[in-house]
Amino acid sequence: MSMFSGFQFRKISTPIHNLDPRIKFIFVIVIFAVAIMFNEFLVLVVLFFAHIPIVLVAKVQREWIRSMRGAAFLATIIFVTNLVFSYIYGGYQLAPWILENAIALTLRFVVLVESFSIFFLTTSPDHLGLALEQSHIPYEFCFAFTTAVRFVPVLAEEAQTIMDAQKARGLELEKGNFLKRIRNYIPILIPLIVSAIRRSLELAEAMESKAWGAIKKRTNLYELKVRKGDYILITLTIVMLIIAVYVRLYLSIPSLTSLISH
Amino acid sequence: MPIIETKDLTYTYQGATKPSIREVSIKIEKGEFVILTGPSGCGKTTLCRCFNGLIPHFYTGTLNGTINVANLDVTKHQIHELARHVGFVFQNPENQLFALSVEKDVAFALENLGTPRAEMQERIEWALKAVGAYELRERAPHELSGGQQQRVAIASVLAMQPNVMILDEPTSFLDPLTAKKIFEVIAELNEQLGITVILVEHRLDLTAQYADHVIIMDEGKVVLDGNPRDIFNSEEARLIGVGIPKATRLFQILKEDGINIKSVPISSAEAAKALRRILKHD
Repeated sequence: MSMFSGFQFRKISTPIHNLDPRIKFIFVIVIFAVAIMFNEFLVLVVLFFAHIPIVLVAKVQREWIRSMRGAAFLATIIFVTNLVFSYIYGGYQLAPWILENAIALTLRFVVLVESFSIFFLTTSPDHLGLALEQSHIPYEFCFAFTTAVRFVPVLAEEAQTIMDAQKARGLELEKGNFLKRIRNYIPILIPLIVSAIRRSLELAEAMESKAWGAIKKRTNLYELKVRKGDYILITLTIVMLIIAVYVRLYLSIPSLTSLISH
Repeated sequence: MPIIETKDLTYTYQGATKPSIREVSIKIEKGEFVILTGPSGCGKTTLCRCFNGLIPHFYTGTLNGTINVANLDVTKHQIHELARHVGFVFQNPENQLFALSVEKDVAFALENLGTPRAEMQERIEWALKAVGAYELRERAPHELSGGQQQRVAIASVLAMQPNVMILDEPTSFLDPLTAKKIFEVIAELNEQLGITVILVEHRLDLTAQYADHVIIMDEGKVVLDGNPRDIFNSEEARLIGVGIPKATRLFQILKEDGINIKSVPISSAEAAKALRRILKHD
C-alpha cells in the first residue's frame, strides 16, 4: 500500500481544501498556461515559489515534498537533455545562459507537476465527483469516477493477495528477460480481472437494492457553493493571466545571466 | 395480513438444469425476527433475492408461483419500488459501499429516491446513531474494519426506513465477537423499531435467542418452518446438518441420560440457568 500513499488525499479542513474544485482547476490550468508561455528563468522561479504559501496554508508539506521527490528523476533527465542539446547547438561552448536555460525548462516541468499535485492533494475525490456532477456531466459517469477511486485501494490489496498466493504456488515474477517478466504477470491479471467482474456484479446487485435509478433527477447530500475564498482565487487567477499575457506581449524579461554580468 | 407471503414459489436461474427453490410457501408476519438457515446451496439466497425483486428483475430465469411483499406483487413492481419497503444487506460489506465517505454511502439510497437535503441529513444521523457508527461518518469505507463496514452497510439500508430488512449472512466475513455485536444491533432494530428482520445465518448459537420464527431449507425446499424451540429440538433439524444451538444439543444429550429440563434452551444463558436449577435440586 505504500506505493499509493504518495497520491492519497488526506482529509483535513483548510482554506485551500474548502475551495471550489472547479475554480481550483481553472487556477491550475492558468498556471499551466503561464508556465508554457514563458521560458525565462526568473518568471518560472517566481511561479515555483508562489506555490509554497499555498502548500503551507493547505498543510500538505510532507505530501508535497514527496511528490517533488517523485518528479526529481524526470526533472534530472529533462535538465541533462537540455544541457547536452544546448551545448551541442551552442557550438560546443559552455556559456552560463545554457545552464540557465536548462534550469528554466526543468523548472517549467516542476511547476506543472507542483500545481497538479497541489490540486489533487487538496481536492477530495468526493468533491471532484461533485464538481463533475454540477458541471452537468451525466450522473452515471460521475458515479463511475468516484467508484473507481473508491476501489483503487481495494483492488491494490487484492492484487497483492493474488500475487502472494501465486508466489506461494511457485510463480517467479522476477525471472527471465523483459518479455518473460511481462508474461509472468498473466497468472496475476486473470484472477484479478475475474474477481473484479464478480465484484462488479455484487455491486450492481447492491445498487439495485438501494433504489438505483428510482427517479430521473436525484438529489445530492452535498452541494458546492462558490464562497468568498473562491471569488478571491478567481480574481487572482484572472489578474495573473492578464499580467502574464501583457508581459509576454509588451515587455522583455531580462535573463539572470545578463543581470549578473551588468 | 402477512408482510411477506409466497405460494408455490419455484425459480430456475437461466442456464440451470434444476430449480434453485421449489414450491416454497411461507408466511412472514410483520415485526417478526426470522432466521432462515440450511446447508450451503440450499436456496436461501435465491429466496431472499425474490423478496426484494432482484429475482425476477435483475436475474433472468423462470419464476412460477406467487409472491407478495408489503402488499405488492413482486413480479409487477420494479426493484426500486420494492426498495422502499425491503432493505437488503449483503454478505460482503466491502461491495455494498460505493462512496468515498460513510455519510455519502448512507445517503446513496436517499439520493436515488430524491429525498430533500435537510431530511436526508436527519435520516443519516438517525441511521448511523441506530447502528452505533455515527462517529465514523467522515471516514472513507476502506479505512474501516469489517465490522464497522457492515454497520455502515446496515445503516445505509436503514436510512431508507424499510419495513423489512433482509440480511444475507452479514457476519460471514467477521470474527465471532464482532458478529455478536452486529447481531445485537439487528435485534435492537427489530425490537425497538419493529422492523421485520429476515436473517440468513449459520451461527445459530449467537442468533437463536432473538428469533421468533425459524425456516430451514434443504435442496431448494422449505423443510421446517415454525417456532424456534420446536424446530431446533427436532430430529430433522439435526439430521439436515444445521448447526443447532449447542445449548439445545446439550439439552438433548442430557435428556438421553435421563436428566430432564422442562423448557428447551436455545441460548447458553438459558441453558446455564436451567442447569443451575437442576444442580441446586441435587
